[in-house]
Amino acid sequence: MKKLIDYHNVDIQQQELVVLRDVDFELKQGEFVYLLGKVGSGKSSLLKSFYAEVPIKKGEAKIFDYDLRTIKRKDIPFLRRKIGIIFQDFQLLGDRTVQENLEFVLKATGWKDKRKIAEQIDLVLSNVGMAKKGYKRPHQLSGGEQQRVVIARALLNSPELIIADEPTGNLDPQTGRGIVELLYAICKGGTSVIMATHNHTFFEMFPGRVVSCTDQELVEGDSCFEE
Amino acid sequence: MTDNQYKKRKKSFFNLHFTTTISVALVLFMVGLISFLFIFTKEMTDYAKENIGFSVVLKDDCSNKELQRLKKYLENVNFVKSFTYISKEQALIDHVADLGEDPTSFLGYNPLQASIEVKLHANHTDSAGIAEAKNKLSVFSSVQEVVYQEDIVHLLNNNVKRLSIIFGGITLILLFISIALINNTIRITVYSDRFIINTMKLVGARAWFIRKPFIRKNLLDGFWAALLALVMLAGIIYYVQSEIGDTFNLYQLHIWLPVIAIVFTISFVIIFFAALFGVNRFLRLKTDDLYYI
Repeated sequence: MKKLIDYHNVDIQQQELVVLRDVDFELKQGEFVYLLGKVGSGKSSLLKSFYAEVPIKKGEAKIFDYDLRTIKRKDIPFLRRKIGIIFQDFQLLGDRTVQENLEFVLKATGWKDKRKIAEQIDLVLSNVGMAKKGYKRPHQLSGGEQQRVVIARALLNSPELIIADEPTGNLDPQTGRGIVELLYAICKGGTSVIMATHNHTFFEMFPGRVVSCTDQELVEGDSCFEE
Repeated sequence: MTDNQYKKRKKSFFNLHFTTTISVALVLFMVGLISFLFIFTKEMTDYAKENIGFSVVLKDDCSNKELQRLKKYLENVNFVKSFTYISKEQALIDHVADLGEDPTSFLGYNPLQASIEVKLHANHTDSAGIAEAKNKLSVFSSVQEVVYQEDIVHLLNNNVKRLSIIFGGITLILLFISIALINNTIRITVYSDRFIINTMKLVGARAWFIRKPFIRKNLLDGFWAALLALVMLAGIIYYVQSEIGDTFNLYQLHIWLPVIAIVFTISFVIIFFAALFGVNRFLRLKTDDLYYI
Protein backbone atom coordinates (compact mmCIF):
# COMPACT_ATOMS: atom_id res chain seq x y z
CA MET A 1 0.00 0.00 0.00
CA LYS A 2 1.15 3.52 -0.81
CA LYS A 3 3.13 5.32 1.89
CA LEU A 4 1.90 8.84 2.50
CA ILE A 5 4.25 9.80 5.32
CA ASP A 6 7.75 8.47 5.89
CA TYR A 7 9.74 9.82 8.87
CA HIS A 8 13.16 8.47 9.90
CA ASN A 9 15.17 9.76 12.88
CA VAL A 10 13.34 13.05 12.76
CA ASP A 11 13.67 15.59 15.57
CA ILE A 12 10.63 17.79 16.07
CA GLN A 13 11.47 21.20 17.44
CA GLN A 14 9.24 23.87 18.84
CA GLN A 15 11.21 27.09 18.55
CA GLU A 16 14.65 25.91 19.78
CA LEU A 17 13.32 23.20 22.05
CA VAL A 18 13.32 19.57 20.87
CA VAL A 19 9.93 18.09 21.80
CA LEU A 20 10.27 14.72 20.05
CA ARG A 21 13.52 12.88 19.29
CA ASP A 22 14.34 10.30 16.60
CA VAL A 23 10.81 9.95 15.35
CA ASP A 24 10.24 6.96 13.05
CA PHE A 25 6.78 7.04 11.60
CA GLU A 26 5.09 5.70 8.52
CA LEU A 27 1.56 6.23 7.40
CA LYS A 28 -0.09 4.13 4.72
CA GLN A 29 -3.08 4.94 2.59
CA GLY A 30 -6.43 4.26 4.31
CA GLU A 31 -5.00 4.01 7.85
CA PHE A 32 -6.80 5.48 10.85
CA VAL A 33 -4.24 6.57 13.44
CA TYR A 34 -4.87 7.84 16.93
CA LEU A 35 -2.11 10.08 18.24
CA LEU A 36 -2.08 10.11 22.02
CA GLY A 37 -0.03 12.01 24.51
CA LYS A 38 -0.25 14.37 27.43
CA VAL A 39 -0.61 18.10 27.06
CA GLY A 40 2.68 19.50 25.78
CA SER A 41 4.04 16.11 24.71
CA GLY A 42 4.54 17.27 21.12
CA LYS A 43 1.41 15.93 19.40
CA SER A 44 0.49 19.24 17.81
CA SER A 45 4.09 19.97 16.82
CA LEU A 46 4.33 16.59 15.11
CA LEU A 47 1.09 17.24 13.23
CA LYS A 48 2.23 20.74 12.29
CA SER A 49 5.46 19.34 10.91
CA PHE A 50 3.39 17.26 8.44
CA TYR A 51 2.08 20.43 6.78
CA ALA A 52 5.37 22.35 7.02
CA GLU A 53 4.22 24.73 9.73
CA VAL A 54 6.99 23.42 12.02
CA PRO A 55 10.28 23.11 10.15
CA ILE A 56 12.31 19.91 10.37
CA LYS A 57 16.02 20.29 10.89
CA LYS A 58 17.17 16.70 11.48
CA GLY A 59 16.32 13.35 9.95
CA GLU A 60 14.53 12.20 6.81
CA ALA A 61 10.99 13.46 6.43
CA LYS A 62 8.86 12.77 3.37
CA ILE A 63 5.17 13.39 2.86
CA PHE A 64 3.54 12.53 -0.46
CA ASP A 65 6.36 13.39 -2.84
CA TYR A 66 7.67 16.31 -0.82
CA ASP A 67 10.86 16.29 1.19
CA LEU A 68 10.05 18.40 4.25
CA ARG A 69 13.71 19.19 4.85
CA THR A 70 14.10 20.88 1.48
CA ILE A 71 10.57 21.96 0.57
CA LYS A 72 10.45 25.43 -1.04
CA ARG A 73 8.11 28.05 0.31
CA LYS A 74 6.22 28.24 -2.96
CA ASP A 75 5.50 24.49 -2.85
CA ILE A 76 3.97 24.57 0.64
CA PRO A 77 0.48 25.66 -0.56
CA PHE A 78 0.39 22.67 -2.92
CA LEU A 79 1.34 20.29 -0.10
CA ARG A 80 -1.38 21.76 2.12
CA ARG A 81 -3.98 21.26 -0.59
CA LYS A 82 -3.37 17.51 -0.46
CA ILE A 83 -4.08 17.45 3.26
CA GLY A 84 -7.37 18.23 4.95
CA ILE A 85 -6.40 19.93 8.19
CA ILE A 86 -8.74 20.12 11.16
CA PHE A 87 -7.17 22.70 13.43
CA GLN A 88 -7.46 22.60 17.19
CA ASP A 89 -8.26 26.31 17.17
CA PHE A 90 -10.53 26.09 14.08
CA GLN A 91 -8.72 28.74 11.99
CA LEU A 92 -11.91 29.94 10.34
CA LEU A 93 -11.93 33.29 8.60
CA GLY A 94 -13.86 35.41 11.09
CA ASP A 95 -14.61 38.18 8.63
CA ARG A 96 -16.92 36.11 6.42
CA THR A 97 -19.73 33.55 6.51
CA VAL A 98 -19.32 29.78 6.57
CA GLN A 99 -20.28 29.66 2.90
CA GLU A 100 -17.65 32.29 2.05
CA ASN A 101 -15.04 30.49 4.17
CA LEU A 102 -15.48 27.36 2.11
CA GLU A 103 -15.71 29.34 -1.10
CA PHE A 104 -12.33 30.93 -0.34
CA VAL A 105 -10.67 27.53 -0.04
CA LEU A 106 -12.16 26.31 -3.30
CA LYS A 107 -11.24 29.46 -5.20
CA ALA A 108 -7.75 29.43 -3.69
CA THR A 109 -7.29 25.89 -4.93
CA GLY A 110 -8.31 26.68 -8.46
CA TRP A 111 -12.07 26.14 -8.63
CA LYS A 112 -13.67 28.54 -11.11
CA ASP A 113 -17.20 27.34 -11.92
CA LYS A 114 -19.63 29.05 -9.51
CA ARG A 115 -22.25 26.34 -9.83
CA LYS A 116 -19.76 23.56 -9.04
CA ILE A 117 -18.42 25.56 -6.10
CA ALA A 118 -21.92 25.94 -4.66
CA GLU A 119 -22.64 22.25 -5.18
CA GLN A 120 -19.42 21.16 -3.50
CA ILE A 121 -20.07 23.44 -0.52
CA ASP A 122 -23.62 22.08 -0.15
CA LEU A 123 -22.25 18.56 -0.32
CA VAL A 124 -19.59 18.92 2.38
CA LEU A 125 -21.87 20.95 4.65
CA SER A 126 -24.56 18.32 4.48
CA ASN A 127 -21.90 15.64 5.11
CA VAL A 128 -21.24 17.22 8.50
CA GLY A 129 -24.90 18.08 9.16
CA MET A 130 -24.49 21.84 8.71
CA ALA A 131 -26.42 22.21 5.47
CA LYS A 132 -28.60 25.05 6.74
CA LYS A 133 -25.90 27.08 8.53
CA GLY A 134 -23.90 28.35 5.56
CA TYR A 135 -25.08 31.94 5.98
CA LYS A 136 -23.73 32.26 9.55
CA ARG A 137 -20.45 33.75 10.57
CA PRO A 138 -18.09 31.56 12.66
CA HIS A 139 -18.63 33.55 15.86
CA GLN A 140 -22.37 32.90 15.64
CA LEU A 141 -21.81 29.15 15.82
CA SER A 142 -21.18 26.94 18.84
CA GLY A 143 -17.78 25.23 19.27
CA GLY A 144 -19.18 21.93 17.96
CA GLU A 145 -20.69 23.62 14.94
CA GLN A 146 -17.45 25.45 14.16
CA GLN A 147 -15.59 22.16 14.47
CA ARG A 148 -17.94 20.60 11.94
CA VAL A 149 -17.42 23.52 9.55
CA VAL A 150 -13.67 22.96 9.87
CA ILE A 151 -14.16 19.29 9.03
CA ALA A 152 -16.33 20.28 6.06
CA ARG A 153 -13.55 22.59 4.91
CA ALA A 154 -11.00 19.78 5.25
CA LEU A 155 -13.16 17.58 3.01
CA LEU A 156 -13.60 20.13 0.21
CA ASN A 157 -10.80 18.93 -2.04
CA SER A 158 -11.26 15.22 -1.23
CA PRO A 159 -7.78 14.98 0.34
CA GLU A 160 -5.79 11.76 0.61
CA LEU A 161 -4.91 12.58 4.20
CA ILE A 162 -6.79 14.24 7.03
CA ILE A 163 -4.93 15.61 10.02
CA ALA A 164 -7.15 16.32 12.99
CA ASP A 165 -5.67 18.03 16.03
CA GLU A 166 -7.95 17.25 18.96
CA PRO A 167 -11.11 17.68 16.94
CA THR A 168 -13.24 16.70 19.90
CA GLY A 169 -11.44 18.75 22.53
CA ASN A 170 -14.14 21.40 22.84
CA LEU A 171 -17.12 19.15 22.44
CA ASP A 172 -19.54 17.26 24.62
CA PRO A 173 -19.04 13.45 24.49
CA GLN A 174 -21.97 12.84 22.21
CA THR A 175 -21.03 15.45 19.61
CA GLY A 176 -17.40 14.36 19.88
CA ARG A 177 -18.36 10.78 19.17
CA GLY A 178 -20.38 11.97 16.17
CA ILE A 179 -17.33 13.69 14.78
CA VAL A 180 -15.03 10.70 15.22
CA GLU A 181 -17.69 8.54 13.62
CA LEU A 182 -17.71 10.92 10.68
CA LEU A 183 -13.91 10.82 10.35
CA TYR A 184 -13.99 7.05 10.63
CA ALA A 185 -16.53 6.85 7.83
CA ILE A 186 -14.35 9.11 5.67
CA CYS A 187 -11.38 6.84 6.39
CA LYS A 188 -13.35 3.82 5.24
CA GLY A 189 -13.64 5.60 1.88
CA GLY A 190 -9.82 5.35 1.47
CA THR A 191 -8.64 8.58 3.09
CA SER A 192 -5.95 8.28 5.77
CA VAL A 193 -6.71 9.99 9.05
CA ILE A 194 -4.37 11.02 11.88
CA MET A 195 -6.23 12.23 14.91
CA ALA A 196 -4.68 13.64 18.05
CA THR A 197 -6.88 13.05 21.06
CA HIS A 198 -6.95 12.63 24.83
CA ASN A 199 -10.05 10.52 24.74
CA HIS A 200 -9.22 6.83 25.14
CA THR A 201 -12.75 5.59 24.69
CA PHE A 202 -12.77 6.37 21.00
CA PHE A 203 -10.47 3.59 19.92
CA GLU A 204 -12.57 1.05 21.65
CA MET A 205 -15.57 2.17 19.61
CA PHE A 206 -13.65 2.87 16.41
CA PRO A 207 -10.59 0.65 16.31
CA GLY A 208 -7.43 1.94 14.64
CA ARG A 209 -3.68 2.15 14.98
CA VAL A 210 -2.46 3.94 18.09
CA VAL A 211 0.78 5.89 18.50
CA SER A 212 1.78 7.91 21.56
CA CYS A 213 4.10 10.73 22.43
CA THR A 214 5.87 9.98 25.71
CA ASP A 215 9.18 11.17 27.12
CA GLN A 216 10.10 12.95 23.92
CA GLU A 217 9.55 9.82 21.89
CA LEU A 218 6.93 8.58 19.49
CA VAL A 219 6.02 4.97 20.21
CA GLU A 220 3.51 2.51 18.79
CA GLY A 221 0.65 1.63 21.11
CA ASP A 222 -1.07 3.37 23.95
CA SER A 223 1.79 4.04 26.34
CA CYS A 224 -0.12 6.84 28.04
CA PHE A 225 -2.90 4.47 28.93
CA GLU A 226 -0.52 1.90 30.40
CA GLU A 227 1.04 4.41 32.77
CA MET B 1 -27.76 38.18 10.36
CA THR B 2 -30.23 40.50 12.05
CA ASP B 3 -30.71 44.07 10.81
CA ASN B 4 -28.91 45.38 13.86
CA GLN B 5 -25.90 43.12 13.38
CA TYR B 6 -25.79 43.95 9.71
CA LYS B 7 -25.77 47.66 10.52
CA LYS B 8 -23.03 47.16 13.12
CA ARG B 9 -20.88 45.23 10.65
CA LYS B 10 -21.44 47.81 7.94
CA LYS B 11 -20.57 50.58 10.37
CA SER B 12 -17.28 49.03 11.53
CA PHE B 13 -16.31 48.21 7.95
CA PHE B 14 -17.15 51.77 6.95
CA ASN B 15 -15.19 53.17 9.91
CA LEU B 16 -11.97 51.30 9.11
CA HIS B 17 -12.05 52.22 5.45
CA PHE B 18 -13.22 55.74 6.17
CA THR B 19 -10.35 56.38 8.61
CA THR B 20 -7.77 54.94 6.21
CA THR B 21 -9.15 56.93 3.30
CA ILE B 22 -9.20 60.19 5.27
CA SER B 23 -5.63 59.71 6.57
CA VAL B 24 -4.30 58.95 3.11
CA ALA B 25 -6.35 61.78 1.59
CA LEU B 26 -4.82 64.33 3.99
CA VAL B 27 -1.30 63.28 3.04
CA LEU B 28 -2.20 63.35 -0.65
CA PHE B 29 -3.72 66.79 -0.21
CA MET B 30 -0.30 68.03 0.99
CA VAL B 31 1.35 66.33 -1.96
CA GLY B 32 -1.19 67.89 -4.33
CA LEU B 33 -0.75 71.35 -2.83
CA ILE B 34 3.04 71.26 -3.13
CA SER B 35 2.84 69.91 -6.69
CA PHE B 36 0.41 72.65 -7.56
CA LEU B 37 2.68 75.33 -6.06
CA PHE B 38 5.68 73.81 -7.82
CA ILE B 39 4.02 73.81 -11.23
CA PHE B 40 2.47 77.22 -10.62
CA THR B 41 5.86 78.72 -9.66
CA LYS B 42 7.42 77.27 -12.79
CA GLU B 43 4.57 78.76 -14.78
CA MET B 44 5.15 82.18 -13.18
CA THR B 45 8.93 82.18 -13.69
CA ASP B 46 8.51 81.02 -17.29
CA TYR B 47 6.07 83.87 -17.76
CA ALA B 48 8.59 86.32 -16.28
CA LYS B 49 11.52 84.91 -18.25
CA GLU B 50 9.67 84.92 -21.53
CA ASN B 51 8.78 88.56 -20.98
CA ILE B 52 12.31 89.80 -20.45
CA GLY B 53 13.53 89.37 -24.01
CA PHE B 54 16.10 91.57 -25.72
CA SER B 55 16.35 94.18 -28.43
CA VAL B 56 18.01 93.57 -31.77
CA VAL B 57 19.02 97.07 -32.89
CA LEU B 58 19.12 97.39 -36.66
CA LYS B 59 21.48 99.51 -38.68
CA ASP B 60 20.03 102.57 -40.31
CA ASP B 61 20.97 101.32 -43.73
CA CYS B 62 19.22 98.01 -43.27
CA SER B 63 17.40 97.21 -46.50
CA ASN B 64 13.90 95.85 -46.61
CA LYS B 65 15.20 92.63 -48.13
CA GLU B 66 17.60 92.09 -45.26
CA LEU B 67 14.88 92.90 -42.74
CA GLN B 68 12.62 90.26 -44.34
CA ARG B 69 15.49 87.74 -44.19
CA LEU B 70 15.97 88.44 -40.49
CA LYS B 71 12.25 88.19 -39.79
CA LYS B 72 12.08 84.89 -41.65
CA TYR B 73 14.99 83.59 -39.56
CA LEU B 74 13.31 84.65 -36.30
CA GLU B 75 10.08 82.98 -37.35
CA ASN B 76 11.77 79.64 -37.92
CA VAL B 77 14.46 79.44 -35.26
CA ASN B 78 13.54 77.26 -32.25
CA PHE B 79 14.52 79.50 -29.34
CA VAL B 80 12.35 82.49 -30.26
CA LYS B 81 8.90 82.55 -28.73
CA SER B 82 7.75 85.81 -30.33
CA PHE B 83 9.14 88.99 -31.77
CA THR B 84 7.90 92.48 -32.65
CA TYR B 85 9.41 94.75 -35.26
CA ILE B 86 9.60 98.39 -34.18
CA SER B 87 10.31 100.70 -37.10
CA LYS B 88 12.24 103.94 -36.80
CA GLU B 89 8.97 105.88 -36.95
CA GLN B 90 7.24 103.68 -34.39
CA ALA B 91 10.23 104.06 -32.07
CA LEU B 92 9.89 107.84 -32.30
CA ILE B 93 6.15 107.69 -31.52
CA ASP B 94 6.85 105.43 -28.51
CA HIS B 95 9.64 107.75 -27.36
CA VAL B 96 7.43 110.83 -27.57
CA ALA B 97 4.66 108.96 -25.74
CA ASP B 98 7.09 107.91 -22.98
CA LEU B 99 9.11 111.10 -22.50
CA GLY B 100 6.80 113.80 -23.83
CA GLU B 101 9.46 115.51 -26.01
CA ASP B 102 10.25 115.10 -29.66
CA PRO B 103 14.00 114.82 -30.42
CA THR B 104 13.43 115.76 -34.09
CA SER B 105 12.38 119.28 -32.97
CA PHE B 106 15.91 120.09 -31.67
CA LEU B 107 18.06 117.63 -33.63
CA GLY B 108 16.34 118.02 -36.94
CA TYR B 109 16.36 114.29 -37.59
CA ASN B 110 15.15 111.06 -35.97
CA PRO B 111 18.08 109.64 -33.96
CA LEU B 112 16.25 106.45 -32.98
CA GLN B 113 16.97 103.19 -34.72
CA ALA B 114 14.64 100.45 -35.87
CA SER B 115 14.76 97.36 -33.70
CA ILE B 116 13.21 93.99 -33.14
CA GLU B 117 12.02 93.02 -29.63
CA VAL B 118 12.70 89.31 -29.29
CA LYS B 119 11.20 87.12 -26.57
CA LEU B 120 12.78 83.73 -25.96
CA HIS B 121 11.28 80.41 -24.89
CA ALA B 122 11.69 79.91 -21.13
CA ASN B 123 14.06 76.95 -21.56
CA HIS B 124 16.40 79.19 -23.51
CA THR B 125 16.67 82.04 -21.04
CA ASP B 126 19.71 80.87 -19.09
CA SER B 127 23.03 82.69 -19.68
CA ALA B 128 24.26 80.15 -22.23
CA GLY B 129 20.99 80.23 -24.14
CA ILE B 130 20.94 83.99 -24.29
CA ALA B 131 24.59 84.14 -25.33
CA GLU B 132 23.87 81.64 -28.10
CA ALA B 133 20.91 83.70 -29.34
CA LYS B 134 23.01 86.82 -29.18
CA ASN B 135 25.83 85.27 -31.22
CA LYS B 136 23.49 83.88 -33.83
CA LEU B 137 21.76 87.23 -34.33
CA SER B 138 24.97 89.31 -34.32
CA VAL B 139 26.21 87.64 -37.51
CA PHE B 140 23.46 89.29 -39.53
CA SER B 141 24.99 92.23 -41.35
CA SER B 142 21.91 94.36 -40.76
CA VAL B 143 22.20 93.99 -36.98
CA GLN B 144 24.10 96.73 -35.21
CA GLU B 145 23.94 95.30 -31.73
CA VAL B 146 21.97 92.98 -29.49
CA VAL B 147 20.96 94.57 -26.18
CA TYR B 148 19.58 92.64 -23.28
CA GLN B 149 19.09 93.35 -19.60
CA GLU B 150 21.79 91.07 -18.31
CA ASP B 151 21.38 91.98 -14.64
CA ILE B 152 17.69 91.17 -14.52
CA VAL B 153 18.23 87.92 -16.38
CA HIS B 154 20.99 86.88 -13.98
CA LEU B 155 18.97 87.88 -10.96
CA LEU B 156 15.96 85.97 -12.17
CA ASN B 157 17.99 82.92 -13.06
CA ASN B 158 19.72 82.89 -9.69
CA ASN B 159 16.46 83.27 -7.81
CA VAL B 160 14.80 80.55 -9.83
CA LYS B 161 17.73 78.24 -9.12
CA ARG B 162 17.54 78.94 -5.38
CA LEU B 163 13.78 78.52 -5.38
CA SER B 164 14.05 75.24 -7.28
CA ILE B 165 16.51 73.87 -4.71
CA ILE B 166 14.25 74.87 -1.81
CA PHE B 167 11.19 73.46 -3.56
CA GLY B 168 13.06 70.29 -4.47
CA GLY B 169 14.08 69.85 -0.83
CA ILE B 170 10.55 70.39 0.45
CA THR B 171 9.18 67.98 -2.14
CA LEU B 172 11.70 65.33 -1.15
CA ILE B 173 10.91 65.70 2.56
CA LEU B 174 7.21 65.63 1.80
CA LEU B 175 7.64 62.50 -0.27
CA PHE B 176 9.37 60.79 2.66
CA ILE B 177 6.63 61.92 5.02
CA SER B 178 3.91 60.67 2.69
CA ILE B 179 5.61 57.33 2.21
CA ALA B 180 5.99 56.94 5.98
CA LEU B 181 2.43 58.00 6.80
CA ILE B 182 0.65 56.11 4.04
CA ASN B 183 2.80 53.05 4.66
CA ASN B 184 1.89 53.12 8.36
CA THR B 185 -1.80 53.52 7.69
CA ILE B 186 -1.89 50.66 5.21
CA ARG B 187 0.22 48.42 7.45
CA ILE B 188 -2.20 48.92 10.31
CA THR B 189 -5.11 47.77 8.16
CA VAL B 190 -3.11 44.74 7.03
CA TYR B 191 -1.98 44.07 10.62
CA SER B 192 -5.60 43.94 11.74
CA ASP B 193 -6.05 41.02 9.33
CA ARG B 194 -2.87 39.13 10.25
CA PHE B 195 -4.66 36.06 11.59
CA ILE B 196 -6.86 35.93 8.53
CA ILE B 197 -3.76 36.01 6.32
CA ASN B 198 -2.28 33.19 8.38
CA THR B 199 -5.42 31.09 8.08
CA MET B 200 -5.50 31.63 4.32
CA LYS B 201 -1.95 30.35 4.20
CA LEU B 202 -2.79 27.27 6.28
CA VAL B 203 -5.62 26.19 4.01
CA GLY B 204 -3.33 26.09 0.98
CA ALA B 205 -3.80 29.49 -0.69
CA ARG B 206 -0.84 30.70 -2.73
CA ALA B 207 0.88 33.94 -1.83
CA TRP B 208 -0.56 35.95 -4.74
CA PHE B 209 -4.06 34.68 -4.10
CA ILE B 210 -3.80 36.05 -0.56
CA ARG B 211 -2.13 39.32 -1.56
CA LYS B 212 -4.50 40.23 -4.38
CA PRO B 213 -7.65 41.12 -2.39
CA PHE B 214 -5.63 43.15 0.13
CA ILE B 215 -3.89 45.13 -2.58
CA ARG B 216 -7.13 45.60 -4.52
CA LYS B 217 -9.03 46.77 -1.43
CA ASN B 218 -6.31 49.25 -0.46
CA LEU B 219 -5.90 50.56 -4.00
CA LEU B 220 -9.63 51.26 -4.06
CA ASP B 221 -9.29 53.21 -0.80
CA GLY B 222 -6.33 54.98 -2.40
CA PHE B 223 -8.46 55.96 -5.38
CA TRP B 224 -11.10 57.57 -3.15
CA ALA B 225 -8.38 59.22 -1.05
CA ALA B 226 -6.78 60.76 -4.16
CA LEU B 227 -10.17 61.98 -5.36
CA LEU B 228 -10.93 63.48 -1.96
CA ALA B 229 -7.52 65.15 -1.83
CA LEU B 230 -8.10 66.73 -5.25
CA VAL B 231 -11.54 67.98 -4.23
CA MET B 232 -9.97 69.62 -1.16
CA LEU B 233 -7.26 71.12 -3.34
CA ALA B 234 -9.83 72.41 -5.82
CA GLY B 235 -11.64 74.05 -2.90
CA ILE B 236 -8.47 75.86 -1.80
CA ILE B 237 -7.61 76.93 -5.35
CA TYR B 238 -11.16 78.18 -5.87
CA TYR B 239 -10.75 80.36 -2.80
CA VAL B 240 -7.32 81.64 -3.90
CA GLN B 241 -8.59 82.40 -7.40
CA SER B 242 -11.49 84.40 -6.00
CA GLU B 243 -8.98 86.36 -3.88
CA ILE B 244 -6.44 87.14 -6.62
CA GLY B 245 -9.05 87.92 -9.25
CA ASP B 246 -8.08 87.84 -12.93
CA THR B 247 -4.32 88.40 -12.44
CA PHE B 248 -3.56 84.80 -13.18
CA ASN B 249 -5.80 81.97 -14.30
CA LEU B 250 -5.40 79.01 -11.94
CA TYR B 251 -7.91 76.82 -13.76
CA GLN B 252 -5.55 75.79 -16.52
CA LEU B 253 -5.55 72.21 -17.70
CA HIS B 254 -1.78 72.08 -18.12
CA ILE B 255 -1.35 72.93 -14.42
CA TRP B 256 -4.06 70.57 -13.20
CA LEU B 257 -3.27 67.52 -15.33
CA PRO B 258 0.21 66.96 -13.85
CA VAL B 259 -1.15 67.57 -10.32
CA ILE B 260 -3.90 65.00 -10.85
CA ALA B 261 -1.37 62.56 -12.32
CA ILE B 262 1.08 63.09 -9.42
CA VAL B 263 -1.58 62.63 -6.71
CA PHE B 264 -2.97 59.43 -8.24
CA THR B 265 0.46 58.00 -9.04
CA ILE B 266 1.84 58.68 -5.55
CA SER B 267 -1.29 57.22 -3.98
CA PHE B 268 -1.27 54.04 -6.07
CA VAL B 269 2.48 53.42 -5.99
CA ILE B 270 2.90 53.90 -2.24
CA ILE B 271 -0.26 51.96 -1.38
CA PHE B 272 0.64 49.11 -3.72
CA PHE B 273 4.06 48.61 -2.18
CA ALA B 274 2.86 49.21 1.40
CA ALA B 275 0.13 46.58 1.00
CA LEU B 276 2.49 44.20 -0.80
CA PHE B 277 5.22 44.40 1.85
CA GLY B 278 2.64 44.46 4.66
CA VAL B 279 1.04 41.20 3.52
CA ASN B 280 4.41 39.65 2.68
CA ARG B 281 5.55 40.17 6.23
CA PHE B 282 2.67 38.08 7.59
CA LEU B 283 3.00 35.52 4.83
CA ARG B 284 6.51 34.77 6.05
CA LEU B 285 5.57 34.41 9.73
CA LYS B 286 4.60 31.13 11.34
CA THR B 287 1.40 31.00 13.39
CA ASP B 288 3.34 31.10 16.67
CA ASP B 289 5.32 34.16 15.61
CA LEU B 290 2.10 36.14 15.17
CA TYR B 291 1.78 36.27 18.95
CA TYR B 292 5.21 37.88 19.34
CA ILE B 293 4.60 40.97 17.20
